[in-house]
Amino acid sequence: MHESPPSSDHISQRVSIGALVFLLGCLLSSARVLMEAPAPSRLKESAAEIAKRSDLRFAALKAALPARGILGYVEDPSTTLPTDYYLTQYALIPLVIDHSPNHPLVIGNFPASPPSSASLDHLQLIKDFGNGVMLFANKDAK
Amino acid sequence: MMLAFAALLCLASGFVLVSMGWFRRSPPRAALPLMLWLSIGYGLGIFSVVFLLSRIFVANLIVADVALFAVLLVAWWAISRSRPRLDAKTASSNSAQSPKWLRQSRSAAFAIALCSALYSLVMRALADPHGDGWDAFTTWNLHARFLFRGGLNWRDGFTPLHIWTHPDYPLLLPAAIAHFWSYLGRDEAAVPAIIGLIFTVATVGVLFSALSLLRGRTPAMLAATALLATPFFIELGTSQYADVPLAFYFLATVVLLCLYDGRPVDAKHSPGLLVLAGLAAGFAAWTKNEGVLFLCAIVLVRLLFLVKPAGKREMSQDPRKDWMALAWLIAAAAPALLLIAWYKHSVVPPGDLFANPAGTTLHKLLDPARYWAILQWYVKEFFRFGHWLLIPGTVLLVAFYFVAGREEGPRQPGFRTSVLALTLTLAGYFAVYLITPYEIHWHLRFSLARLFVQFWPSTIFLFFSAVRCGAEAQSNFPQPTAK
Repeated sequence: MHESPPSSDHISQRVSIGALVFLLGCLLSSARVLMEAPAPSRLKESAAEIAKRSDLRFAALKAALPARGILGYVEDPSTTLPTDYYLTQYALIPLVIDHSPNHPLVIGNFPASPPSSASLDHLQLIKDFGNGVMLFANKDAK
Repeated sequence: MMLAFAALLCLASGFVLVSMGWFRRSPPRAALPLMLWLSIGYGLGIFSVVFLLSRIFVANLIVADVALFAVLLVAWWAISRSRPRLDAKTASSNSAQSPKWLRQSRSAAFAIALCSALYSLVMRALADPHGDGWDAFTTWNLHARFLFRGGLNWRDGFTPLHIWTHPDYPLLLPAAIAHFWSYLGRDEAAVPAIIGLIFTVATVGVLFSALSLLRGRTPAMLAATALLATPFFIELGTSQYADVPLAFYFLATVVLLCLYDGRPVDAKHSPGLLVLAGLAAGFAAWTKNEGVLFLCAIVLVRLLFLVKPAGKREMSQDPRKDWMALAWLIAAAAPALLLIAWYKHSVVPPGDLFANPAGTTLHKLLDPARYWAILQWYVKEFFRFGHWLLIPGTVLLVAFYFVAGREEGPRQPGFRTSVLALTLTLAGYFAVYLITPYEIHWHLRFSLARLFVQFWPSTIFLFFSAVRCGAEAQSNFPQPTAK
């Protein structure tokens, strides 16, 4: 049996129906794009989150620090994620913040609870800026 | 006011550069949208390089910008005078059209997808002005802040103490952001948010306008709808990561290669589009390390096409012209490569991905379990990287292919180059996962979906370049008639 090739009209119709199904499939995901957009009611709170944890939180400390140099950093030893450290560095640029107490000036970042004395070995408090932000001196640092 | 001036200068510099690459003195109206969308990426690329050079040579930024723009204008004037004037005639009149119901449906679907995506992009940018996810403030914006706030001491931030910030990542995005901050005088969070948004929209713009030019309205609308309806593309676009900018430069390279190889033979001798493709690949390499892999893949594939035996050659039958074309491509990408080489050699510590000792790397390369794990993730991500609802976009493309079939006729070398280069780049990512110093599942989990998004706009473009799309899918690409 010899089968005749499909006519161009037939192909065109198939392509048109295929395109329509394709567009419907796309629109399903467009609905997700829309649904997952942040709600207007949460914009204000969400927009300020990073700034609250970085720029605003460290504004007073930054004014008291030198313009350039490398500073140490301590936080609660039970902290599992380094987010607070990263945000400290982000706020204090162009200073370089090393996650180590072995520097003459050391930033203390304790947003959740006051520091335990064990985490502050060899460190001397210079100033408590409030809100868990502190500046220490490490006289043993080389 | 200064920010508006900077934005205008950025776009104008990009447009003059793109215009120089076009092969006629007066660009055809059909190509103008594509040129405008491309201009955004080229402008931001230029701004990035100029900012870094002004930091290195301690030059005044505004003077550098204006001087470069003047040089570009003079070069454009000189090039446009030296070219024969060509009259643009559109290849097809588009008299044959799809059924009315399909035209209305595709327009409605495109409009819905566009509005949904724009709404989502704006809301996301407003909700997360500092970016959504760690990489925004631990890498890209952090580097931008060091470039801007660090002044002459900008290198302080790219220290081995900060391996977690990936100091070896290239600087296109951070330096472009810092450039705008310099005009503004402060590091306003809105700038990276807007740049992220603009790259996302421009990627869709390039996809739509390139397919409109090469294939007509229907494929262009289907392709743009598919990209706009990819939730993870929209999400990543406003995350202030560099994956969408990289996707933009991948797509620009692919589009320009296809345009170059699809041009009429008498216009092919002008390497303008090829130079633009090389520049785009260079900007890709200056955006992320993955871009270096892509650039190498493009050059390698073009080279392989050239060394094929005479009867099986992919390009023209004139080897001398083909070798010259390859030289133009490499020469256009060379400035970016030189900048990257200098940056990696003289400024930053070595990257973390190749930190393994040789013995460990060899051991990992010989471990079949790692191959199997990566392969499984590649297959899984093929179906889910876009976070689609119910039907993955990749499945939709495959299904559409089986229904519509492919356009008849041989594929041009630009198409083949792009497909092979993207495949090679994907294989390169596979190799990097094999030797990664990180726990392999963790690394795959947090990066593979983003890597797939880098390819997604180019894949959609290549797909709709090749698939049959009905009566309206005809080229609007201008066929010149020399006077």
